This record gives sequence, C-alpha cells and structure tokens, in this order.
Amino acid sequence: MRVVRTALIMLAVLAAATATRADQLVTDLSEHQIAIRSNFTGTQILLFGAVEARTPGSRALNRDIVVVVQGPTRPMTVRRKEPIAGIWINHDSVTYPTVPGYYAIASTRPLEVTANPDTLKALRIGIENINPGMPTARAIDGTLQILPPDEENAFWKALIRNQRRNGLYTSLPGGVTFLGQTLFRATIDIPANVPVGLYTAKVYLLQEGEIVDTISSPLYIDKRGAERFLFRMAHSDPLLYGLIAVLIAALAGWLASAVMNRQ
Amino acid sequence: MQIYLPIAELPVSVLTILAMGAAVGFLSGMFGIGGGFLMTPLLIFLGIPPAVAVGTQATQIVASSVTGALAHFARKSIDFKMGGVLLAGGILGSLSGIYLFKLLAAIGQIDLTISVVYVVFLSVIGAMMMVESVQAIRAARGGSVTRRRGGHHSWIHGLPFKMRFRRSKLYISVIPPILVGYFVGTLAAIMGVGGGFILIPAMIYILRMPTNVVIGTSFFQIVFVAALTGVMHSLENQAVDIVLGFLLVVGGVIGAQYGVRAAEKMPAEQLRALLAAILLLIGMRLGYDLISTPADPYSVVEVEAEQ
Repeated sequence: MRVVRTALIMLAVLAAATATRADQLVTDLSEHQIAIRSNFTGTQILLFGAVEARTPGSRALNRDIVVVVQGPTRPMTVRRKEPIAGIWINHDSVTYPTVPGYYAIASTRPLEVTANPDTLKALRIGIENINPGMPTARAIDGTLQILPPDEENAFWKALIRNQRRNGLYTSLPGGVTFLGQTLFRATIDIPANVPVGLYTAKVYLLQEGEIVDTISSPLYIDKRGAERFLFRMAHSDPLLYGLIAVLIAALAGWLASAVMNRQ
Repeated sequence: MQIYLPIAELPVSVLTILAMGAAVGFLSGMFGIGGGFLMTPLLIFLGIPPAVAVGTQATQIVASSVTGALAHFARKSIDFKMGGVLLAGGILGSLSGIYLFKLLAAIGQIDLTISVVYVVFLSVIGAMMMVESVQAIRAARGGSVTRRRGGHHSWIHGLPFKMRFRRSKLYISVIPPILVGYFVGTLAAIMGVGGGFILIPAMIYILRMPTNVVIGTSFFQIVFVAALTGVMHSLENQAVDIVLGFLLVVGGVIGAQYGVRAAEKMPAEQLRALLAAILLLIGMRLGYDLISTPADPYSVVEVEAEQ
C-alpha cells in the first residue's frame, strides 16, 4: 500500500512539474557580426533553432514562431510638404525620439492569426506596434504645437512607409518555416543602407496564441577596414580629414595639369 | 562594381560615378567651367544626401580649379591682386554660407533652398547667355558687330577705398570685388559650386575686367574658396566623402581632356548657346520638381543626437 501511495504522489509531482515546464527554444544566428566593408551591398542572415518539447502531448499543434530583428534606436523627424504659393515646402514636422533604424519581423503564419492584437501590442511585436517614444510636433517656424491624434498618426504611418520603401522595415508572414516537427529557420534580409550598431534578434514561441518562451541574441553591424577608418576619422578629427581630402584633390588637379603639359 | 561610401553610407556603382565625373568633366573642359552646378544636382538625384553632395563636390572643384589655375598661371593670365581681394570676400562668404547651410538644415529647409537658388541662377544666367549668344550668332551672320561695352563711368567709380590693379588695368574701389567675392563664396558653400558661372559675368560686367584675365583670376579665387568650403563642410557637418570625391575627380580629369579637344573644333558662340541650353534645362527640371505634387509629401530625416 505504502509503495502504491508514494508512487501515486511521485506521479502527481511529476505531472505538476511537466505542466509548468513548457516547451523551450534553442536558437542561433548564422552570424553574430556583420562587417560593412567597401564591397558591402547588403547581406542575409540565417536564424535557425529548435523547439524542445517538454510536454509530449502538445506536439506541433497551433505552435507559432515569431522572429523580430531590431536595430539601434535614434531620433527621427518626419516632415510634411505643403504647397505654399505653388511651391512644395516642408511645413509641419514630428520628431520621434526612439525610432528603430531597422525592424524585420518574420513569422510562421500571419500575425493576425498568431496571437490576439493585445498580446502583440503589449510585447511590441509587429511594425505597427513599434514604440517610437513621445512625439514632439513643430510648426514651420519651429514652435511646438499639438496635432490631433489622427494627424499625428499620419506622420507615423509616413515614417513606416518610408522605412519600408528603403527596405529597413520588413514583415514576412510565412518567413519562418518548420523543417519537420521541431526545427525551424528564417532568413532575414539586411539591406546595404542598414544603420550600424547593436541589433537584437528575438525569437518568440507561441502556443495557442500565448507566449511560451522567448530567446534573444545580439547581432553587431559595424563598419570595418577602410570604411571604419575613414568614418571614424571624419568624426573624431574632422579638420585633419577635411585638409587631407582637399590636399588629395589639389594633388590630383596638379597631376592632371602635369600630364596635360607633357602631351 | 559596387562600392560602399563611408560617409554617404550607401553603396554606389563605381562605373556610374566615374561616368558622371567624366561627363561633367567633358562639359567643364569644353566650356571652361567648374561643373559643380551640374554635378551637385546629379549627386542628389542619385540619392546622396544634399550635405554630402555639396561637401564632397567642394573637393572635386578644388581639383578642377587647380588644373585650370595652373594652366592660366603658365599663360600669366591671372590678376593676383584682384584675385586676393575677391578671395578676402570669398572667405567671409564661404564661412557665412556654411553657417547658413547648418541653420537651414536644422529647420528642414536646406533642400528647398538649394533647389530655389539653383532654379533662380540657372534660369537667369542661362537666359542671359542664350540671348547674348543668339544675338552674336545673328550679328556674325549679318556682318555687323555690335559692342555695348563702353568705358563710361558708372556708380562703381564713386566708391571709396580705391586700389590700382595693374594686371587688369583698373583703378577701382575694393568694395565691389569684395562684395562679389562674398556673394559667390556664400553660394559656393550652399550650392556646392565653384561659382565661376556667376563670378565670370560679374567680373566682366560689374568690375569691367579685361576678358583675358577673367578666367584665370576666377580659377585662382575658386581654388582657395573651394578648399576652405571643403574643410569647413568636413569640420561642421562631417559631410565630405573622400571615396566619392576621389572617384569624381578621376572621372572629371579624364573627361576634361576630351572636352578641351572637342571645344577646339566647335565655334565659340554655338558652344555658348549649347551651355545656355544645358543650364536652362537643369533649371527647368529642378523648377518642375518644386511645383509638381510630390509622390510622397512626407520625408524622413535622422536627427543628429544633441550634445
């Protein structure tokens, strides 16, 4: 009897433990560093991983993976042109303090069917749910003004449109593919005009629309070699940089006239 | 072949930039102009940020004007004294142009300002040149040559601080050349041009300098104003892209050689009419962009982190 009782208790404990120990993610990136050299024309990174199933019964039913790669944030200003006396002039502007310079999202299924909008909003998943910080609106003369929310929203939509056009904001429903039951992969495009800095690649595992596990890995994008040297110099030593640039040009001009005279 | 520009922060095709440099170099060799007013709009059309286009263009102007100034130095067709006075104004003008550029960029009106200034100057100077060259072509056909330039006194001769310029055979006040230099220096810093296309008519029609020293003196002044503008754009805006500048210079030097040769085979007046037509076309293209409804009225810029 005692043996049966202890066995029953152990089973119950085990069941409770497995219920709390949900499925887990294991992921990695093909590269953790992207070097921008003089031949850089954009690249792709491969994100791959596996779902370690802890609950044998649940399997792959209604399981979703969402991948978000986000770049460093920076302040950005959106300006709207208006025709004044027939000429289109930058008029009102809205500045957002923390706009990601890059945002790519890929998922196994369209986001609408992956989770409910409130969950996505709370976790800032999806281009529409990016938080750019408190906007400040200014009039043409630089004075602060308050725009009605729908008009302010038009500026934010324009920023997203612009970033999408430049390939800096992308969304790929179906961009994450499962290979069998547990393995998955996603390729993320990094365009040539990508801003440099520290990126994070976040992977979300969802089960029936609920987040089960999250994993985040860093990704550095930086200039290397001559590109890095010139960029650094232009910013740390602008006077010397400018003098060298002008001197090289003057030498080239002198060389051209020397060649011309010889001919 | 693509190359990533470290300051403009985007990849460009090496061949495109070399070809652009060569094409503008060809025209500049042909017409004896710097070509900045052609290159800066082209770079902006290509997607280079306006500040980088203007700053980098300054270095390209240094290269082409050094070549020009050396050629005129050999021919002794530079009035150094007049050049120095123009330069004094040019330095002040360049400095205020850089300041104005920064101010306009901060309030978001730099693109508009560059476009408006281009439209105004290209159309006015293009139209003036066109009228004049058409008249000259007609006069040459009709056989009668009309010269309006006379030695009569104008308001300029009433101004104080007179100075003798032996090479130009002038005894005039230093105020008009300083003002001309200042004005051209300001434009050079904002437009990314040498300013020869304004400086040369101003020297002929306002200062009444003899035409044989005008081009050499203008090159001499432009070398230093463009050098200062390049250094200042680097210092204030970090907007000089050495890689882009180098490619433009290489293309420009090659193109200029052929341009000079082509010009020898063409009559001067027709050449001038052609240049006038090019100026008018670019002016009209930029003007059309100002008044036509933009594809997207919204534009996005990164804000420099405030220190």
